[in-house]
Amino acid sequence: MRFFLISFILVMAGCASYPKKNGFEKVEATNSPVQNPYFSDTSIDYVYKAKIDVFDTSFGGILVVKKLGPASHRIAFTTEMGNTLFDFSFIEDQFTVNSILKDLDRKILINILRKDFTALIREQNTLQEQYQKNDEYLTATTILGKKHFYLYENDHLARITRIGKGIPKVVFQFSQINDNIAHQIKITHSNFKLTIALNAIMD
Amino acid sequence: MLKRFFSFSNSTPERLFTFSLLSLLFFSGTALAQIQMSTGEATALRAKVKAQAEVTKTISSDFTQYKHLDFLSNDIKSKGTLAFKAPNIVKWEYTTPFSYSVLFKDEKLFINDNGSKSDMDLGSNKVFKQLNQLITASIRGDMFDDTAFEIRYFTENNNSLVHFMPKDEQFAAFIKAFHINFNSEGEVEAVKMIEPSDDYTQIVFSNRIQNQPISDAVFSH
Repeated sequence: MRFFLISFILVMAGCASYPKKNGFEKVEATNSPVQNPYFSDTSIDYVYKAKIDVFDTSFGGILVVKKLGPASHRIAFTTEMGNTLFDFSFIEDQFTVNSILKDLDRKILINILRKDFTALIREQNTLQEQYQKNDEYLTATTILGKKHFYLYENDHLARITRIGKGIPKVVFQFSQINDNIAHQIKITHSNFKLTIALNAIMD
Repeated sequence: MLKRFFSFSNSTPERLFTFSLLSLLFFSGTALAQIQMSTGEATALRAKVKAQAEVTKTISSDFTQYKHLDFLSNDIKSKGTLAFKAPNIVKWEYTTPFSYSVLFKDEKLFINDNGSKSDMDLGSNKVFKQLNQLITASIRGDMFDDTAFEIRYFTENNNSLVHFMPKDEQFAAFIKAFHINFNSEGEVEAVKMIEPSDDYTQIVFSNRIQNQPISDAVFSH
């Protein structure tokens, strides 16, 4: 019991300290939601060349994201030669597999992709806490039951960090931002070797 | 949208007339554009394509690829060059909007993804092996294998269009049908690969040069 209590306190302390570890001070939270503008325009086909490194294997493809309505997105991944490897729908927290290549139809993989893509495309979410360091803002929100911190630099969303047990588990980095399109996105997992690098190839 | 399309209850006679006229034009247009071949015509086409394939030692060609996903506003367009050397070496090289090439050679698939190189042994993967054979056959047009496909022949604007439906279930789960357009010379002009979802990839060839020597360097990895 004592061990459990100590662990619990340590976990809670770890959780609270992520912004502090990074030099942020808590400020009064605003009423506006946490915003991610990068997949928010229904008129745009978001098309990225993707490079996925998982353990010692590396493979590429084309990742396509389309916003279909409020909180509704479709994400498909195809080979460069056009064969669709998977096709998912995201509506709020609901998730549907429209199709997936038999070889990739593994629950563990689908779960990882579901969590990563839900965080990647979530346009608005309830702001829970807010922190500040000079011109940088850090806001906390919860996606699929996990705490996520959104880092804004010069009013641009630069990074989303998923926290588990007080430490960063997955980092989404957005760069080369122009007209609310992040031309480079990198998703890095820290608890196992998985990175997804995306480079925009739309006109 | 569909609901509006099918709600005729408050349609005026003029609207109905316009609709009928449009449907007539549309359906008759489709019928005119695509006519099923007679057995004799189909046999003649097979012979022509086979003869063309037999004399084809090399092909170099530009291509434009259109990836159609129903939920997108526009098809994803990419361009590149194709090099083929008989009997079965094929290189697809995408140049825009990304740099990527796949080389099918010696039962292997060599990938160069913007400088990052990898290879895959096709012998171990049935679907990829079939895909390789099909790509080679479809470039030459010579894939009239009745045991592997259900085949349908059409003429379309004086050219030929052939539908190949894979009989192998494992393959059909990957690609539902290939549609190949041939010009009057029996050369492949376009290949459309249709997935079970009806999304498709269409590859249209241009600037085709046949039987000109292609440097071995093109097929090195």
